[in-house]
Formats: sequence, C-alpha cells, structure tokens
Amino acid sequence: MINRRHFLTTVAIGTASAAALAACGNGGSSSGQTGSAEKPVTINYTWWGNDDRAERTRKAIALFESKNPDIKVNGNFTDFAGYWQKRATEAAGGGLPDVMQWDLSYLRDYGQRNQLLDLGTVKIDTSAFEKSLLPSGQIKGKTYGIPTSTNAFAVYYDPAKLASLGIAEPTGKWTWSEFQAFLKEVGDKGNGTLYGSTDFTGVWWQFNIWLRQKNIQAFTSDGKLGFSKDDLKTWWNLNSKLRGTQTLVPEDRVTQLKPKSPFGSNVSAAEVTWDNFMAGYLADSGAKQLKLVPVPSDDPNNLGLFLKPSMLMVASAKTKFKDAAARFIDFMVNDPEVGQIFKTSRGVPASKTQRDGTTFDGADKLVVDYEKSIEQYLKDAPEPPIVGFGTLEASFGRIASDLNYGKLTVDGAVDAWFKEAEDLIKQNA
Amino acid sequence: MTQSPTLSRRPGHSGTALPRKSRQRGADARAGYTFLLPWLLGFIALTVGPMISSLYLSFTNYNLFEPPKWIGFDNYATLFQDERFLQSVGVTLSYVVFGTPLKLAAALAVAMLLNSKRRGQGFYRSAFYAPSLIGASVSIAIVWKAMFGDSGPVDQGLSFFGINIGGWVGNPSMTMPMMILLTVWQFGAPMVIFLAGLKQIPGELYEAASMDGAGPGRKFFNITWPMLSPVIFFNLLMETIHAFQIFASAYIISNGEGGPAGSTLFYTLYLYLRGFSDFRMGYASAMAWLLVIVVGIITLIFFRTSKSWVHYSGDAK
Repeated sequence: MINRRHFLTTVAIGTASAAALAACGNGGSSSGQTGSAEKPVTINYTWWGNDDRAERTRKAIALFESKNPDIKVNGNFTDFAGYWQKRATEAAGGGLPDVMQWDLSYLRDYGQRNQLLDLGTVKIDTSAFEKSLLPSGQIKGKTYGIPTSTNAFAVYYDPAKLASLGIAEPTGKWTWSEFQAFLKEVGDKGNGTLYGSTDFTGVWWQFNIWLRQKNIQAFTSDGKLGFSKDDLKTWWNLNSKLRGTQTLVPEDRVTQLKPKSPFGSNVSAAEVTWDNFMAGYLADSGAKQLKLVPVPSDDPNNLGLFLKPSMLMVASAKTKFKDAAARFIDFMVNDPEVGQIFKTSRGVPASKTQRDGTTFDGADKLVVDYEKSIEQYLKDAPEPPIVGFGTLEASFGRIASDLNYGKLTVDGAVDAWFKEAEDLIKQNA
Repeated sequence: MTQSPTLSRRPGHSGTALPRKSRQRGADARAGYTFLLPWLLGFIALTVGPMISSLYLSFTNYNLFEPPKWIGFDNYATLFQDERFLQSVGVTLSYVVFGTPLKLAAALAVAMLLNSKRRGQGFYRSAFYAPSLIGASVSIAIVWKAMFGDSGPVDQGLSFFGINIGGWVGNPSMTMPMMILLTVWQFGAPMVIFLAGLKQIPGELYEAASMDGAGPGRKFFNITWPMLSPVIFFNLLMETIHAFQIFASAYIISNGEGGPAGSTLFYTLYLYLRGFSDFRMGYASAMAWLLVIVVGIITLIFFRTSKSWVHYSGDAK
C-alpha cells in the first residue's frame, strides 16, 4: 500500500537526484605556446557551411598540417544559424575556439567586446590585399578579422530548368517589375512543381541594395536606422501580389527544406543571394550548370552593388597559441594551394597571391567573371553593421517568413521589425 | 517508520548514558554529512550558486561580455509588452494543457493493459518503455522531423487514407499536434510508475467488487483511481513541470528558431534565443525566474487541491 510519508520521501529524493544529474562540468586544457613536430600544439578551428565546404576545409587543414608538423588543427562546423548561438555560449564561458570563420554581421558584437584577438599584434601578411577591403575587418584602428574573399549579390538561375520550360535566359539588365514578370513566368509554367524563387524581399541584404539604389543608407554613422517605416513598407509591398501564388516558393516548403535552400533543392529556378553560393548550390542541387546575372534595378546606372568580405578569419582573444593561430590564418588567406581547394566557394579570394595562384574554370570562372562584369557598378561597401546587426538580420528574415505565412500584414510586419530594431539599438546604445 | 534503537531517545531514561549517546550521535551525523558532501558541494556550486547569480542578473542589463548594469524591474516590466514573449507563453501553455493529460492517459491505459497476467509481459513492458529511454535524445527529434516532413511516412500514410495535410513540419497549425504526439509517444516513464502503483492495489478489492456486481468502469473509478491517486498525483506533477521545460525537441525540429511562424517558440527556447542569440542575458534570467515562480505556484495549487482527491493509506478518511 502507498503510505504518505514513504511516498513523499521518495518523491523528494527522486526530484533532488534528477536535479543533481542535470548538471555537468567541463575539463580544462593544457598550456604551452609553441609546439614541435614531436609534440605539436593543437588549435581548434570552427566554421559554418555545408558538406561541400567541410570537405574542402578538411583538405586545407590536411595540407596545413603537412606543411606545419608542429601544429595540429581540430576542425568543427555547423550551419549558419546555430553557429552564432554556439559562439555566444563559448564566449560566455571564455572558451571560444582559437581560430574561427567569421561574418561581418557579428564583427562588432565580439570585436568591440574584447573577445577577438587584435591581429595587428601577430604576424599575418596582408600585403597582397586591396587596401579598400582591409578596413572592413577593422574597428577603431584594430584589426579583428582578415577577409578570406569577396562576394557580391547576384541573381542565380538554372539554365536547364528555364530551357525545359521554354523560357529565355535573363540578361541581367532588368527593372524590378521585369524581374518579377520573369519569376511569374517560371511559376506559371512550372505549375506548382517549379517556382520562380523564394520571396526575395525577406533577404536583408537585398533590401539594403534596394535602399542603395535609392541612395538611402541603411544605418547612419551614429548607429541608427537610416530608412523609414515607409521605405520598408514599400519594399515588403513589392511582392504583396505574388505571395501565396505559384511565383514564390510557399513558406511551408521553405521551412521543411531547411537547412537547405529551395534553389539548392531544385524547387525554384532562381534565387537572389551572394555569388559565392555557387559551389554549395551545385553540390546541393546536382545541377550541371548555374549562371548568375546582376540584381534588378530601376536605375540602370545604379545597381547598388558592392563587394563585401564574404567571410573573415578571426582568432579568440584568449587563445593560448597566438603564433599557431596567426600562421593558420595566414595560410588560409594567402596560400595559393588553399585557393585551389576552395576555388570560389568562400567567394573570390581576397589576397592577390592566392587569387593569382588559383585557376578558375567552369562554375568558378562564372563567379570571377561576374564580379569582373559588375566592376563598373560597384560602390563602396556599406557602413560597418551596427552592434547586434546579426540579430536584426535574423529577425528580418523571420518576420518576412511570418508575412509569407499570412500571420502578419505588411504594416504589422513593418511595425514588428521596427519595434525590435529600435529596442535593440536602445539596448546597445 | 521505525527508528534504530541507538538513535531513539526515550523520555525519563536520559541519566548518565547521555554523553556517550550524544557522542555516538555526533559521529553518525558526521558520517551522514560526509556521505552527503559530494552531492551537497555539487548542488551548491552547480545549482544554488548559478540560481542566485541569475536572480541578480535578472535585475540587470547584461550582454555576456560587459559588466551587468543594474536596471531594477525593467526586464520584468518589458516582458509583458514583448509580443514574442506572450506568444511563447501561449505556445507553452497549450503544450502543457493538452500534452500532459494525453500523455498521462496513454501511460495509464497502457499500464493497465500491461498489469494483467499474460505471456510475454516482460517484453511488452520493455517495448513500451523504450521510446522514453531514447526519447529525450537529439536523434529522435531528427527522426520525427523526417517522419512528419513533406512526403515523409506520416504524410504518405495519411494520404493513403485520403487525408492530404502535406508536411507537418512547415505548417504552423500542425507543429503543435506533432510536438504533442512526440511527448505522448514517450509515455514510458510515467507508465512504469503507474504499473508499480497498480501492483500495490490489493486484488481482494477487485474480487469483492466483482462479487457485488461492479463492472469495469465502476472498478476503475471506485477502486483503481482512488487507490492509485498518489501515483497519479506524482506523475501529473512531474509531467507538468517537465512539459514546461520542453526545449531540445523544439530546438531541433525548428532549427533553433521556434518557427514556423513562431508555432514552436516554447518558453525555454525563446529564453535561450534571448540569452544566446540576442545577448540579453538579464532578460533571459528574468524569464527564467518568472518560469520558476509560475511553476512553483502551479505546484502549490496542485498540492492544495490534492487534499480533495488524493488518498493515502493510513489517512483517516
């Protein structure tokens, strides 16, 4: 029979032991600045990306280790969204990996808060870099990141899919409404099996480019928003007639396919994104060939395009192996053989040494040619994003997704995003 | 409960024996605390300490990197103007309110089936318990996501019967049923406890009831339910608290975003996103403490109301 006293005691013990089991600890690490071939030091390197990048990175690490027998590199990767949550957890515990692939969106968050190593204090050769590109990795005169490569925005399309629907390939000289008409034609002829693209108004950088085409700055130099609610309303209303039609990939499909993109999953014929996604898209979709053309603009002389460091290499401020970390970064950004391994999958190599040492053919040549073809339209890279920009970029996509689910109206979505943005800017002021 | 003779202290029997006995008792206590020490240290260092610091942080603006700034009750005040927060409360409550009773009903039903004497009961018990052993793992959430995705087995199975819902994972109105099914499927732990409780109920009661002509329904409500009520109470309490803490499966199924359209934005997931995506640790701490308080109040209500429906043996009733 169940007796009250026994019963409650058992409950108490059970609960307490469950609580005790829930906690667990973390081991320490060994010290030592430099290694030798017999006793190499191990540095941790982490990056975001898909399987394709993982394979290339593994090759690059193996090459580095064979050239530097005194250093071992322990690699680790996740997808982009989970990447930043992991870094935040590690930073809070003081355990960031020694070397990390980094994004411009998060450079201020960690750099200004003393989490990243000032790479000016270690030996990394930056003589082969464009002078205009290096400042993007710098905050207040300190260098926190070295760009590996550059990328630019583009419209990707799959020529084979267009041919099968009998649609002519785009030239890339188009207005926004011509672009939308193109997507609609794909969607109408694709009839639910092939869509035009995802709702491109949900992509922050595409919005930023659209603003630049209208000569509006996204952020002011004092870290405030440079555009108005009406600007964002106009932007999100651009696609209001297309949402829920066969032109745009339905949002539930987009969600199900994550972490892959609909374009990489052969669900859409076009996608607006960074030009260095070529290798990933080819690997994901299995398509023979993908092509890219410039983004639409109503002003043919102002495409709003710019070259952005597609990713940076950074080191943790707390790394015990500054020298080894610096050598690995130097190798990753400058070595021509690394260029041969990655081709354009990280973007077009930023270091001239690496770029000249890399042969680009096939798909990679298309990416390099694309960046050459838009050279005349390129303007200065946008002002460095504000602290917390990564969060804003993510919530831009999330709110646009709610919009596509029909959970929000355009006005409601604009209000929601502005509330979050203003709240965040106030928090970090 | 019986006490060991060395520890018992009979009135009027103290006299000269007392010093020796109290020394003995001191030694026993020392031994007791020594054995308790490893757990106690862990409890203080890993649970009490962090809890106190999170209480402090909940009154600050803290971004993980810079020293926290004291802002009083601001975090708690802004919570209720935060639409995402209110959404997460709604999502979590509907999960607790629908998921927990369904899970317990499933657990009790299966426990009663397994309580009868049949061949191969050991096998069935293990088979039904297995999902809850592996259920908390990451792999199951991934499998679940694949099963309920576009043209996954669930979609195909339902289509066979003419029900075309499509993938559940991307459909905001189907993600909650999917999450509830996941928790109901993991009924093994409460089931085992129910089973142990059922074994404690004396068979004579059922025999006597049968003789008096009671049917299965009558037996359930007049014998099983009251006799099992302490176990039901325990399971209800534990599963409710558990349900409030759901995190891992929601995190994996929604890629850590709480989507689609915020339909899996559970309280703890939003807390995590606030803390580790938005670097608002003070805000996240305030959320954590609010959850502690709410769960505490609910537990208290459970205990209060339990007096009217939970029957312990030995109670004069």
